[in-house]
Amino acid sequence: MAAAMELRCWGGDWGLPSVHTESLIVLAYSKFSGAQVTVSPIDWTWKTLTATVPELVCGEAAVKDPNQILNFLRKQRFNADYELTARQGADTMAYIALLEEKLRPALLHTFWVDAENYANLTRPWFASRSPFPLNFVVPSRHANNALSRILLTKGESPLHRITEVEGKIYSDAKECLNLLSYRLGTANYFFGNSPTSLDAFVFGFVAPLHKASLPSSPLQSHLSQLDNLTRFCDNILALYFSSNHPCKK
Amino acid sequence: FCLIQDFFLNSTAEPWPENATLYQPLKEDQILLSDCASSLAVQAYLRMCGLPVQVVCRVNAEYMSPSGKIPFIHVGNQVVSELGPIVQFTKAKGHSLSEALDDVQRAEMKAYMELVNNMLLTAELYIQWCDDATATEISRPRYSSPYSWPLSSILAYQKQWEVRRKMNAIGWGGKTLEQVYEDVSQCCQALSQRLGTQPYFFNKHPTELDALVFGHLFTILTTRLTSAELAERIKSYSNLLSFCRRIEQTYFEDKRS
Repeated sequence: MAAAMELRCWGGDWGLPSVHTESLIVLAYSKFSGAQVTVSPIDWTWKTLTATVPELVCGEAAVKDPNQILNFLRKQRFNADYELTARQGADTMAYIALLEEKLRPALLHTFWVDAENYANLTRPWFASRSPFPLNFVVPSRHANNALSRILLTKGESPLHRITEVEGKIYSDAKECLNLLSYRLGTANYFFGNSPTSLDAFVFGFVAPLHKASLPSSPLQSHLSQLDNLTRFCDNILALYFSSNHPCKK
Repeated sequence: FCLIQDFFLNSTAEPWPENATLYQPLKEDQILLSDCASSLAVQAYLRMCGLPVQVVCRVNAEYMSPSGKIPFIHVGNQVVSELGPIVQFTKAKGHSLSEALDDVQRAEMKAYMELVNNMLLTAELYIQWCDDATATEISRPRYSSPYSWPLSSILAYQKQWEVRRKMNAIGWGGKTLEQVYEDVSQCCQALSQRLGTQPYFFNKHPTELDALVFGHLFTILTTRLTSAELAERIKSYSNLLSFCRRIEQTYFEDKRS
């Protein structure tokens, strides 16, 4: 527990500590659980190409993937889910699955596949944060991964064309946001008065959509109508991230 | 997708016909664990709604399906595949199991259905196609059984390659079999805790979530694989076992073979 923990992740912008969903999840959870983690952004280093982000380095061990990192932190006794009942723990797993299946494809599409957003926001951002000559390679690699992930999980063979699935993934995502909004209701967090890992996951998925200045996004407009979700994100930013990363917007 | 919704709206006038059919691959020789689970889930759902459907086994069911996934139903002059769209289709015809749920409960139901899809179905696909022992002894021979060589080899390896690509894309490619079993255990633990001592997930009346969970758990418990580990993991949750037995007795007693 005394060993210093270092988190490698993408840097922040748009008022967020990180623009990358998985990195945001881990950052939020470490704040919620009180884990002292040194953040080392991989921006402008060769790690933008080589590293899998986020990655938590603690002494000898290097842990990747948000779920594994959260498990590791819990084993180190940084547990934000301590007060959850077994049933609430089960609900957490279910809602995280909902986010992965219904919201992630549309987020990937919004940021990486939609031509206008990719050309005007995502690619310039990631290219400007990667050293030469990686700025030519890194964004397109992420975009290709995003596209193939969407097609493999949602594409209906043998057609495998993105236009076929676009309508469906966006309507699934809007429904998912509605469901999250119903579940959150008027509360500050999903379970009780203190944030848990589910709050970290929802924050990681929803905050970039809420804060990024996307040129064209029906999904973002849909989100802005769900007041309790936007308030949820702003609340977490104000309480847990304000002293370190003042809002730049 | 909008076209499908228009189709549903046009079909509300017609009642459920007597000759509705559900298509799946051949039961004895060809069908695999994941497809069998999905098909059983749909059959359970239709039985819970009280909608009669005839199960027909066809070798090329996968290719007949509009989305390439099993099972699909042929009702009147419409063809609908997969549980999600089928639930919407029956809802358009006026049959629904989840109408009585409020918004928060419906959100929970959908979340748990995604948990089953995300964990159980993915684990089934992984065990079938990414575990070499199972793929060689069971999946490839069964999948290609209706065809003669060399088509059988080509189709089997193509399917395996497709599934492995998908597993890699979602991050399951690097998992070991033990980790997959552990994920299944955690999923079952979540389902078991959510079910508690109730007869169904939303107390007295079954919903599409019950049908989906039944389809997957019952199939895993009754299918012989290279290792009995998966079934053993589920058996350690007694309320899930009695849940499966209850649904089998209530809705399938005339049928089970």
